[in-house]
Amino acid sequence: MDLLQGTLDMLVLRTLVFAPLHGYGIAKEIRSHSNEALGIEFGSLYPALKRLELKGLIACKWETSEHNRRAKYYHLTSAGRKQLMREHSKWAEFVNAVSLVMGPNPDEV
Amino acid sequence: MSAWRRLKYLLPSYRRSEERDMQEELESLAAIAGRRELGNLTLAAENARGVWGWAWLEGIVADVRYALRVLARQPSFTAVAVVSLALAIGANAAIFSLMDAVLWRDLPVREPERLVLLERYSLSYLAYSRFAENAGSAMDGVFAWYSNASRRLDSGGGAQRGTVELVSGSYFPTLGLRTQLGRGILPEDDLRGQPAQVALLSHAYWQRAFGGDRGVVGRPIWVERARFTVIGVAPPEFFGLEVGSVPDVWIPLSTFASVFSGPNWLDHSNNNFLYVAGRLKPGVSIPQAEAALTPIAIQIDIERNGPPATEARRRELYNSKVSLRPLSKGLSWLRQRFSKPLRVVFLMVAVGLLLACVNVMGLEFARAGKRQRELAIRMAIGASRWRITRQLVTESAIVAAASGALGLAMFRPAANALASLIGIGGGQTARLILPLDGTMLWFVAGVSMAAVLVSGLLPAWRATRRDAPGGLPQQSRSMTAPPQRRLAGRMAVSVQIALSLVLVSATCLFAFSLQQLRRFDSGVRRERLLVVDVDSNDGGYVDASLVALDARVRDRLAAVPGVADVSFSQVGIYSGRNSGDAIEADGYQSHIPRDHDALLDQVGPRFFTTLGARLMAGRDFEENDSASAPKVAIVSQEFARHFFAGRNPVGLSFSTYDKQLYRVIGVTEDVRHYSREKPDRWFYLCELQAQKRTSFFSTRFVLRARSKRVVNAADLRAAVLAEDKTLRIDEVATADQLFDRTVDEDRLIETLAWGFGVLALILAAVGLYGLLSYEVTRRTGEIGIRMAVGAQKGDIMSLVLREVALVAGIGFAVGAAGAAALARTVEGLVFGIQAGDPRVELAAAAILAVVVISAAWLPARRAALTDPMSALRNE
Repeated sequence: MDLLQGTLDMLVLRTLVFAPLHGYGIAKEIRSHSNEALGIEFGSLYPALKRLELKGLIACKWETSEHNRRAKYYHLTSAGRKQLMREHSKWAEFVNAVSLVMGPNPDEV
Repeated sequence: MSAWRRLKYLLPSYRRSEERDMQEELESLAAIAGRRELGNLTLAAENARGVWGWAWLEGIVADVRYALRVLARQPSFTAVAVVSLALAIGANAAIFSLMDAVLWRDLPVREPERLVLLERYSLSYLAYSRFAENAGSAMDGVFAWYSNASRRLDSGGGAQRGTVELVSGSYFPTLGLRTQLGRGILPEDDLRGQPAQVALLSHAYWQRAFGGDRGVVGRPIWVERARFTVIGVAPPEFFGLEVGSVPDVWIPLSTFASVFSGPNWLDHSNNNFLYVAGRLKPGVSIPQAEAALTPIAIQIDIERNGPPATEARRRELYNSKVSLRPLSKGLSWLRQRFSKPLRVVFLMVAVGLLLACVNVMGLEFARAGKRQRELAIRMAIGASRWRITRQLVTESAIVAAASGALGLAMFRPAANALASLIGIGGGQTARLILPLDGTMLWFVAGVSMAAVLVSGLLPAWRATRRDAPGGLPQQSRSMTAPPQRRLAGRMAVSVQIALSLVLVSATCLFAFSLQQLRRFDSGVRRERLLVVDVDSNDGGYVDASLVALDARVRDRLAAVPGVADVSFSQVGIYSGRNSGDAIEADGYQSHIPRDHDALLDQVGPRFFTTLGARLMAGRDFEENDSASAPKVAIVSQEFARHFFAGRNPVGLSFSTYDKQLYRVIGVTEDVRHYSREKPDRWFYLCELQAQKRTSFFSTRFVLRARSKRVVNAADLRAAVLAEDKTLRIDEVATADQLFDRTVDEDRLIETLAWGFGVLALILAAVGLYGLLSYEVTRRTGEIGIRMAVGAQKGDIMSLVLREVALVAGIGFAVGAAGAAALARTVEGLVFGIQAGDPRVELAAAAILAVVVISAAWLPARRAALTDPMSALRNE
């Protein structure tokens, strides 16, 4: 499924709300939370991470994983948290507006 | 915030550490997830780097580094390209700066476009005062100055000659000049009753005499015998109002009497020694101001000469009119004299630049040929045409930037050398302020950019044609280049030869012209003629004692071994001095005041005999034309023609402005002080009769030596000093030397023409040599085959030379047309030769042909010496 422009950034921020994750972990998280509907290419995810990092919305730290492997873990900054809140309400409005227009499935009317 | 982080990526060390960090991260993830799971990691990393936002810059940096490596590998190409472009750019910058200073630049004062000069160039102090008092309706201030008087200056470290400008108190306030130190001269300094002995220094003099000491205000400075107090320093860019000269010191006009012995000119209503100018009120046009000033001018005339007595005078007054002209760019006869020469030089220099560009372009074509293989490989592995063009243009840009920098480094010496070729008469060179300012930097940057476009873009574009250079498979050195490639290179050489011919024929034209000028008969026999300039100002000689001194010094000089004849004068020959009077002659009538003007020199006995000037009628002055004898004069042919309508004037009389009557005793051939000048109306008086001087000039003694090299300059100095130790010898020069200085503008052009002619020849030789060497190298195989099947050395040489002949022939034909066009634009600048003279063209073509043949000879010879076996083995 293709993602709307900017949606990937929002998804990444949302995924990091609960706990810091490394790059691959984020991709897996998104996939599993969407019931495998959203398969994020790592090739597009990674530049998005760097972009968010540059904007100061996320930050990262080298840590050791549960399997005793070193990896870079990303976490939300306070600016990222605020940004996510903004994005979230905008997203809700957008979904609302679109469902108002779309209504129930025409087949069922 | 984000912008700051982004900037950090410009630091190579930061970028390297980030890069390392990223690689580490990606590897760790690959270890967790497996490479397959993650997809193309290199692409992910590349895209992540793109986030940093400096990919474009990295591209440029990579291009530049690559270009530097390529250029370093071809040092001879790089050196030739950079040096030839730098020479051309430096010369262009220098000429541009000179033209800006002489022709275009506005005065560095407040709103220069509102400044106007009152015409009838000089005016009396009375006239200035009346204009200043009454012009308030049209002008925001009227000011006057007496320019560039040569006076003794002493800043405490010994007396030296300097130039002093006397200015009215309104001068600096009206100009609105801001001093860099202290204050300017103000109206309260310039009161007739109580002149303030204050002086404003020019920047250059402040640097020279006071070493730029910032504590200079309040220090004393002596002008002649009078003590002045320094009150300030003018800004560096201010040179007064006359382009080409910079006074050392400005002092108030009211201090005139303290620095000039003799009559106080401020009291003389007839002494027209001042320039008068003013600032128009906002919104007042020049015609309106002229109308407002005219009644004042009429009042001045009446105040000076009394009410009109005759009807003619009344009408003359009624019709008189003040005329104003814009002074925004200052006053400059340099502009009239050098405007055309400078334009021609600029044209030549521009052609020189074009030539250098074409030269580099030709070299680029040849070089691109050598790099075909490299470019083909790069394109084959996917580089776009745009990408490769960018790379090639980067190389040109680096060459241009280096040339621009080198050109700028050459700017200062080149500009100074050029300025020193601009003479302002009397052996002095113009003092021009030639700053290396923003305008100049833009100019150089612009010229360098244009050089890149001209020299680099076309070759780069051609080199990257997908079809032309032959893709990789056809890469074979034995084949001759595709025809269009060879055509481009040949055209570059043809253009080069054409441009060179234009420059070389201009050089020949000017060299010939200058030679003619030097042979010019100015009415004086210059061989073995010497001029000795003696300043007696320090000895306190005035009037009769000065005249007696001149006669005694003359006698002492006559006693120096080897001297055949001696006389003296005030204006003399080729001195750049000027002195005039208004003449009334029997039977001559004109209402136009200027028609009565004539030039005057006060000379000693036997002056014309000494000069070797022919007397057309009558006799020379003699010893017994003394104070007690009747007043006599000698006039020039032109004077006789003008005032006596061609009658033989010997025995006739005329009077000067002070009503003194003179009887003409001789007519002399016109003596010309500048080679190009029309004969002027001169009259000569005998100093012995006057018992006083008509000017402040030092005395110029003229001597005729018996034969070459027998008169010793030291003997002459000793003879003068034996008369009085306080006498100063300002100059000992031969008439030839002095005459040479009168042809300054010709020397300027000729010197530059030589420079550029030689440069053109070198560039043409280098370009041709480069191209032919390249062609010969790439045709080695072909030549080898030809020789293997029986071609002789001579055949091979003629094969190469035939090619040269074709290319050069086209160049010569086009160049001849260009040279003819250039010749038309310099019409009037050359002397004694028709601009289109075929001899000039032939001489230029011959010189160029020699250079072309020598440049072609070596490669042709190398081709002829090709060993067929090794050439074929190379296949």
